[in-house]
Amino acid sequence: MNEELDSQLSAMFDDELPAAECELLARRLSRDEQLKARWGRYAVIGATIRAERGVRLNAGLARRVSAVISSEPVLAAEPVAQPKKTWANRWWQPVAGVAAVAGVAAVSILWMRSQSPEPTALVAQTSAPVAPVVSPAGRSVAQLVGVTATNVVNREPDSYVVPKNTARRPVVPSTELANYVVAHSEFSSPVARRNLLSAFMASESGTATLPAGSEEPTEDVQDDAKIPQ
Amino acid sequence: MSADISDLSLVRRVQRGDKGAFDALVLKYQHKLVKLVMRYVRNPAEAEDIAQEAFIKAYRALPQFRGDSAFYTWLYRIAINTAKNAVVSRDRSPIEYDLDRNNTDESYDMQGRMKDPETPEGLVLTDEIRSTVNAAIDALPEDLRTAIVLRELEGLSYEEIAAAMDCPVGTVRSRIFRAREAIDRRLREVFEGGLGRVEELG
Repeated sequence: MNEELDSQLSAMFDDELPAAECELLARRLSRDEQLKARWGRYAVIGATIRAERGVRLNAGLARRVSAVISSEPVLAAEPVAQPKKTWANRWWQPVAGVAAVAGVAAVSILWMRSQSPEPTALVAQTSAPVAPVVSPAGRSVAQLVGVTATNVVNREPDSYVVPKNTARRPVVPSTELANYVVAHSEFSSPVARRNLLSAFMASESGTATLPAGSEEPTEDVQDDAKIPQ
Repeated sequence: MSADISDLSLVRRVQRGDKGAFDALVLKYQHKLVKLVMRYVRNPAEAEDIAQEAFIKAYRALPQFRGDSAFYTWLYRIAINTAKNAVVSRDRSPIEYDLDRNNTDESYDMQGRMKDPETPEGLVLTDEIRSTVNAAIDALPEDLRTAIVLRELEGLSYEEIAAAMDCPVGTVRSRIFRAREAIDRRLREVFEGGLGRVEELG
């Protein structure tokens, strides 16, 4: 027998053979009965050195196991390996988490909406009576709702009336703007002061032409009054 | 050197359908496994039966072995579980329970002898194998004997033996191989022709 081969066999028995050589020798070992017998004797030598009392060195254990295994079906061609967790398999996990959270949030929102009155309905109930009724001053909310209900039930023709703009609040009242300009003119240059005053006068003259009841300046005028010095 | 690489290469071959590779694993670990099982049962024949069952279970479970642990660790675990189950089932047996309940060392040894199918010739052969190996070890040069004993008895790696003996790893590998060859030469005489009683190596 090849001495180098035996040397490799001895090293393989001790788990001291490189992996590539192990693969080749394992193939040969599984087929070569002489090599297998030598391998078995190496095991007997080790057992004797370790003085494994009670262990029968000539027992037919290996032969009996081999006989049983020979009647067993051949194992699968490929080992059943658990799929390793790679990035490709893991990428969906955070996405699934986010999707689950988003789903719960969506369900919660839908449930809350179903539990509370719909905002559009509220707008319809409150704004609808304002539109067809002119200046419902002095009427209570109940009356307004009643009118609305009556209108809806009687299906009266809708008529559009421009409501009084009570929501628009002036940002800077005219008097305040005047005070501001006067106070500011103490620190501004004559040219800038002149420009600012002329702009102010122009805005004031524009304001004067507005119809009575609309005392507030337009937003354009206010913007002009804020010209940087 | 990665540990367990030789076992793993054999295991992979078995997993691909090579039954001959499993024979090599059985030959390598049979004595260690029987010794392990004998911690649970003191009868050598029963220990061999349990070890045989453990090997067969291991073969059937080998497709699920992924190599996360060393093969022998995995195999030892199977053997220990098999031995424990065997002890439990034996204790449930009423006849054997009565024998075990009054168990003393002497009565236990008597049970072992009653169950042990070992023939006197077999006992003689085991003794002869031991004496042959021991004689061969004694006849080895000092450096070869030290190397093989450190390896087999102490379980040191080649690198550790090289450090202990103050020599290169390649020299350790060579010394261990030459020691084994010298012992095996005399052992072969016992197995192959010396007594003519050994048909195979167990």
